[in-house]
Amino acid sequence: MRLFIATLLLTILMGCSQQKKTVSLLIYNNQDTFINEMTEYIKKEFNNEYELKIMDSQNFQITQNEFIESRIKAKDDLIIINPVDRLGAYSIIKKLKEKNIPVVFFNREPLAKDLNLWDKAFYVGTKGEQSATLQADLVENIFGSDPLHLNNYDRNRDNIIDLVILKGEQGHQDAEIRTSEVINSLKKRGYNLNILVTEVANWSRTEAMEKMDTIVEEFQDSIELIISNNDSMAIGAIISLRKAGFFKEDKLWVPIIGIDGLKETYSYIESGYLAGTVLNDSQAQAKAIVELTELILGKRTQDNLTYKLENDKYILVDYKIIQ
Amino acid sequence: MKNRIKYNPTIGQNILIATLSIVIIVLLFTSALYYAVFSNRTESLIESQSREINKQIVLNYENYINSVIETANFIQFSSLGMDIATNYNKLQDIFTFNSSIKKDVVSIYLFDFYGNKILGDNLNNTYYKTILEEEWFIEAKNEMNISHFSAPHSNSLALQSNENVIFLSRTVDYIDRSRKRRGILLIELNFKALKDLADKTNLGEGGHILILNDKDQLIYLSNNSENVPFSKSFEIAVKNLLGGVKANIDSIQYFININTLIHTRWRIVTVNNVNDISLARKEMILMMFVIFVGSLTLTTVISVYIAKRITSPLNKLKDSMFRLESGDFNTKVEVKGQKEVVRLSKSFNSMIDEIRTLMDRVVEEQREKRSNELRALQNQINPHFLYNTLDSIVWLAENHRSQDVITTVIALARFFRISISSGATTIPVRDEISHIENYLTIQKIRYVDKFKYTIDIARDVYDIKVMKLILQPIVENAIYHGIGDDMELIDIKAYKDDNFLYFEIENTGYGITPERIEEIYKMLNGAQIKQSVGMRNVYQRIKLYYGEKADIKIQSELDEKTQIKIIIPLDIMEKK
Repeated sequence: MRLFIATLLLTILMGCSQQKKTVSLLIYNNQDTFINEMTEYIKKEFNNEYELKIMDSQNFQITQNEFIESRIKAKDDLIIINPVDRLGAYSIIKKLKEKNIPVVFFNREPLAKDLNLWDKAFYVGTKGEQSATLQADLVENIFGSDPLHLNNYDRNRDNIIDLVILKGEQGHQDAEIRTSEVINSLKKRGYNLNILVTEVANWSRTEAMEKMDTIVEEFQDSIELIISNNDSMAIGAIISLRKAGFFKEDKLWVPIIGIDGLKETYSYIESGYLAGTVLNDSQAQAKAIVELTELILGKRTQDNLTYKLENDKYILVDYKIIQ
Repeated sequence: MKNRIKYNPTIGQNILIATLSIVIIVLLFTSALYYAVFSNRTESLIESQSREINKQIVLNYENYINSVIETANFIQFSSLGMDIATNYNKLQDIFTFNSSIKKDVVSIYLFDFYGNKILGDNLNNTYYKTILEEEWFIEAKNEMNISHFSAPHSNSLALQSNENVIFLSRTVDYIDRSRKRRGILLIELNFKALKDLADKTNLGEGGHILILNDKDQLIYLSNNSENVPFSKSFEIAVKNLLGGVKANIDSIQYFININTLIHTRWRIVTVNNVNDISLARKEMILMMFVIFVGSLTLTTVISVYIAKRITSPLNKLKDSMFRLESGDFNTKVEVKGQKEVVRLSKSFNSMIDEIRTLMDRVVEEQREKRSNELRALQNQINPHFLYNTLDSIVWLAENHRSQDVITTVIALARFFRISISSGATTIPVRDEISHIENYLTIQKIRYVDKFKYTIDIARDVYDIKVMKLILQPIVENAIYHGIGDDMELIDIKAYKDDNFLYFEIENTGYGITPERIEEIYKMLNGAQIKQSVGMRNVYQRIKLYYGEKADIKIQSELDEKTQIKIIIPLDIMEKK
C-alpha cells in the first residue's frame, strides 16, 4: 500500500514536471505558400518549447471557430490565430477574454477597436503600406529616378509607364492598400502612369497566369511593367509571358515586381524574370510571434524582444527589398 | 452485550437470494454499460448532426454575404475608376441597370462625405436630410476598410419601395473632375433573399436562426411564430459568445450553435431542436426498465419453483424425522423428486428398519438377561442344596462327628459368602475355585466319600476375574451323573492360552452318548428340554456376558469319562 502511494505520488510529480504549456496555431489555409513558410518558421522557432498544435481552417471561418472551441476545451495556454475573416476576431476576442486565454493574431489584422477589447489580444504583422512604398522604390530603381526622363524600360519612350496591376483578393485589406499605395507613391514621386488594366487574381498563381494570358493577347508588347500584389501572381504572370514569347529578345524583358519574397522567387530573381520583390519577412514575423508568446507566458521580458512591442499590442515587422 | 440473532435462511430463500442477486448485478451492469455507450453515442450524434446542419446554414449565409460583397466590389471597380464629371450618364446607367437586373439589389447610391447624393436613383425625401446621422453612413466613414451591414429595416431610401431592406455601406474612392475623392457607396439589399435562405433550412419544431450584431442586439430572427423560444436562445447566445451548447428550453432539448458571420462583426445563431433524439434516449431507459422488471419477475418465479422442487421432499423427510423423534418408529417415507433426496429417504428408511431391529433385539436380550440373573440368584441360594446340607449336618451331629460338622458348617458359610459376594457379578478365579472347593467339601461329606476330586489351577489365572458361579452347576452335574458303584473321580482344571481362559471339569462314569451330546447342545441353544437346566443357565449367561466366542464343549467316552470345557475369551473379559 505504501509502495503504491509512493508510486502514485512519483507519477504525479513526474507528470507535473513534464507538462509543457500548450500553444495552438490556427492558420487560415495551408494552400497558401506564404502561410506555410511562416508555419514552418514558427515551428522551428518554438523548438519544442511548448506543446504546439497546428490546425488548418481550410479557408472556412466556421471551421476555425470550431477549432477555437476545441482548443478552449483543451485549456490551451495561448492561441495563435491567422484569421480567415478578420472581422470574426471581434467575437473570438470576446470569447477568449471570457476564458482568459491570450491570443496572438497574425497576417490578417483585426480592427483596432476589436483588439482593444482585451489587453491579452495581440497582433503580429507588417506595416501594410510599407510594402507598397518599397515596391515604388523598386520601380524607381528599374525606370530610373528621373520621372521625366525614363530609361530604356520605357520602350515607347513616352516617359509614361504603361503598367498592369495584378491585384489580390478584391476588398482584401492588403490588396487594396498595396494597390492604391504603390500608385499613390509613384504619382507623388512624379511618375506618369498609364494603368492598362487592374486584374484581380485572388493571390493565385494559376488565376494570374490565366488572366495574364488574356491581357497579353490584348496589349501585346505595350506592357512595360507588371506590379503584382504578391509573388505567386507575379510568378503566374512570368509563366504566361514566357508562353507568349517574352524574355527572348532584349526588348521583351518586361519587369515584373511582387511582394512576399517566397523562397522560390529567389531563382526567378537570379534568372532575371522577376525584377524584384518586397520581402514580407515571414521568418522575422515568426520570430516575433514566438518571442511575444514567450513574453505572454512569462518566459521573456519586454527588454529581450527583438522587435518592438508597440502600444502593448502590436509588433510590426519591416518589409525589405530583394532585387 | 447485544444479542445478535443469527438468521439461518432456508434453502429456498438461499436459492432466491443467490439467483436474484446474480441477475440484478448482471442486469444492472449490462444496462449501465449499454446506457453509457448509447448515451455517449446519441450525445455525439446530436452534436455532430446539429453542427453539420449549422455549418450548412452558416455557409449559406456566408455565400449570400459573399455574393453581396461581390456585387459591391463589382460596382465599385467597374464604375468608380471613371471620372464622374465626364461619364455621369454612363455611371448612372450602370447603377440603375445593376439594381434592376440583380434580384436582391433594390437600389444603389453613391454619396460624398457630406451626405450629398452623387449617383443613383431619386431619393425618398423623408430620409434625405438625416443621412449624415445615419448609422450606416457614420460607420462606413469611421471604419474605411470594411463593408458595413445594417440590420434589416423598412426605411428604404428608394422613392417607391416599401420592402424590408439591408444596407451595405463602405467608403470608396471616386474621381470627379480628375480629382480623387472619398465617398460612401450604399447598396440596398432585399431582405427577402435572407428570408428565403432561412425557409430552406429545417431546424425542427421551434428551431430558428438568430443574428446578433456587434452590440448584442437581435437584428434578425428567422421565425417569429409563437412556439419559437427566441428570447431564451438569445440570452444563451449572448452569454456564450461563441461555440456549440446544449440547452433545455421549456423542457425541449435544443442544440445551439453560435458562429461568426463572415465580413461582419455579427454572430449567427442556429437553434436546432434535438428533442427527438433525446426522446429516443428516454424511450430506451423505459425499455430497459421493462426488460429489467420482466427478467427479475421471471427469475423470481423460476427460482421459487426450483426451490420448491428441492425443498418439498426435504420438508417431507423433515416431517418424518419429527415423527420419529416423537417415537413413531412405524414411519415410512415415500419421497419423489431429485435423486439425492430419494436416496436420502431410502437411507432414512433402512436406518429406521435397522433401529427397529436393534431395539427389538435389545428388548429381547434385556428380558433374557433378567431371567438369567433371576436364575443365577436362584442358584445362589439353592434351597434343596441348603436343606440337603443341613440334613447332612444334622446327621453328622447325631453321629457325633463334630469335626465334620465344623468343616461342613465352615464350608457352607464360605460357600454362601462367595455365592452372594456382596452382589458383584465377577470374582477372581481364586474365589470361584474356593467356592467350588467349599461345595465339594460339603458334597463329599454328604455323599460319604463316594468321589474324589483334584483341582489343578494354573498360577497365571488366579487373579483373572470371571463371571461368578459358572463352575458350580457343572460340578453339580458331574457329581450326580458320575456317582455310581465305583469311586468317582472329578478333575477340575483352569488354565489359559493367548486368547481364552479354560475351565475343564472331568468326571469318570458312564459317559454320554453322542446322540445325547447333540441333544444337550440343542438344549443349550434353546430347545425346550427339562434336563441340565444348570448347564444351560451357565451357557446362556456366558454367551450373554462374553459374547459369541464364549462356549461350552462336551466330550465323552462311554463307560469312561465325561469332560465339560468352559471357554471364556480373554479379550472381552479384560475389557469388562
